[in-house]
Amino acid sequence: MDAFGPKKGIFPSGMGRRIGGRLLIFLFMMLFLSVIVFYVSRLAPGDPLEAFYGDATQSMTAPEMEAARTRLGLDGSITEQYVKWAASVIQGDFGISLRHKRPAWDVVRPLIGNTLILGGTAYIVVFVLAVILALFCARFEDSLADRLICKIATAAFYIPTFWLGVVLVLIFSVNLRLLPSSGAYDIGKAGSFSNRVRHMILPMIVMVASHLWFYAYMIRNKLLDEIRRDYVLLARSKGLGRTRILITHCLRNVLPTIVNIMAISIPHVLSGTYVAEAVFNYPGIGALAVSSAKYHDYNLLMLMVMLTGVLVIISSMLAQSINEIIDPRMKAGEEAY
Amino acid sequence: MAGEDGNGFMIVGANYRRHEVMAKRDGVWRRLRKMPLFSIALLVVIILGCLMARFLANHDPGKFYLSNLSQPPNSEFFFGTDSLGRDIYSIIWYGGRVSIFIGLLATCVITIIGVTYGCISGMAPEFLDNMMMRAVELAQSIPVLLTVLLIVSIMDTQNVVTLSLLIGSVSWFSLARIVRGEVRQIRRSEYVLASRCMGASFMRVALKHLIPNFVSAIMFVVISSVSTSMSMESTLSFLGFGLPAEVPSWGNMLSLADRALLMNTWWVIVVPGLFLVMTLLSITAIGYYFRSETNKRPSNL
Repeated sequence: MDAFGPKKGIFPSGMGRRIGGRLLIFLFMMLFLSVIVFYVSRLAPGDPLEAFYGDATQSMTAPEMEAARTRLGLDGSITEQYVKWAASVIQGDFGISLRHKRPAWDVVRPLIGNTLILGGTAYIVVFVLAVILALFCARFEDSLADRLICKIATAAFYIPTFWLGVVLVLIFSVNLRLLPSSGAYDIGKAGSFSNRVRHMILPMIVMVASHLWFYAYMIRNKLLDEIRRDYVLLARSKGLGRTRILITHCLRNVLPTIVNIMAISIPHVLSGTYVAEAVFNYPGIGALAVSSAKYHDYNLLMLMVMLTGVLVIISSMLAQSINEIIDPRMKAGEEAY
Repeated sequence: MAGEDGNGFMIVGANYRRHEVMAKRDGVWRRLRKMPLFSIALLVVIILGCLMARFLANHDPGKFYLSNLSQPPNSEFFFGTDSLGRDIYSIIWYGGRVSIFIGLLATCVITIIGVTYGCISGMAPEFLDNMMMRAVELAQSIPVLLTVLLIVSIMDTQNVVTLSLLIGSVSWFSLARIVRGEVRQIRRSEYVLASRCMGASFMRVALKHLIPNFVSAIMFVVISSVSTSMSMESTLSFLGFGLPAEVPSWGNMLSLADRALLMNTWWVIVVPGLFLVMTLLSITAIGYYFRSETNKRPSNL
């Protein structure tokens, strides 16, 4: 085979082929994920039927139970159940939440927005601050301020998220009575912007404190490697200012790494929203995942795993595409420089 | 940077770089000062306290002192009592045993799985290596907490060992990647080749040549995984997925935080949390000490 000849594929142009390839990988990964999660969840002890009907199962007759199993999609072998489940998922039906006794999608849908607001804002704040902090630390490397920031931020990163949240609630809600301790908004004030903001301050502080340094430190180290390159010496000798070199040259070279880090960080930040939502009783996906794990509500958990999977895979693909725009040397399939 | 030779000529750069080699070795005292002495001392005190829990505790950690519910710290109950009337001071020492033990056991699991997986993947042929690394990336892309919730919802009740296994089995991915990267770098070196030519088995190559070479590189990750495991245990216990309530651990003590918030009993939240945080930060500081120094070239900026 001629390695340099034009490669042939379903898609004629290079870009199209890459997108097509990625879509295939995406579908494959989703399939893989769903099979594993499905099988694992059916290994569980405890009858889902009991979780759904409670004590009523004991007074059911055998044919009634059979009918109930068929209705909930619990009859047949696991493989048959999976095929049935997958078929209905393609039609947009994720099954019935065993705990809420409503379609799982209806339970999750109103909460997605809340989580996206909290997680998305935290995500943006974390990365904006991380880049600023990293630039500052790289500019004044080994100064007192740099070392102080490193120490404090490392400590903040290793303090358990939930404890930080509880302590903040203890200080600001219980004792100072400045901020609300739970929920996304007060009853009847769902539309009020300021009310929502007030409810988001504490969860945001917790999320930012527990994620910021991890990423700021990575970016800082990358920048420190970068300012030891020769082009920095050249730029210095032609008389450019330090801050300007850092921002216009070094930061630009580090950007692909930052985009990569941002893509990888999504599951991490999502994990953070789980804890923050659970601590602050914030009505979102995370708090729902925690409670549905408590009540063995597998259909709901499945849906949330799938949603997370879609989000994560899409974002990593997006990061790859953005990187190709920033740095054309990084083409998928070709050796990165 | 210039030396003068016998004829009176200046030789520019004669001893360039030499003085770095000749730099004075650090004495014992200086090396000791670089160590995180405060953290080590703190950690030793906490661990000794936990080991000697029986002598330190002045109350029965499992007993409910029903006439002393939610007492603030006083001379009888040094750290106060919680909403069930248990003596926090006594539970701290017994709970520390459990928390630290879980941290250590989970770290053992992480190290064993991570090193084995990383070594196999690093030594494996290209396609197998690729596949193993893709699998790790896939597993890493799901939030850890979601994986744990899924597994926890399947398991019935936890005990110390199953909880450690669970924590260990979801946190070895990054260690495996680091090990694999290190192994990739040394797999082609002559001594590994020589050893394999002489018929050494995979186990022997790994134990004699691979592991001694990357042990310093993974030291930081291994040590800080003790603190991340302990942190995970406390988070799980707080969310209600950890150990059963009668087993004392720092995380379990904090699972009463909700009730403590309602009653505004700060000591129930702050005392176990401070012990946990102090331990975590000490372990982390010690881990940072082991982190191999990045090359300290002077900055061009």
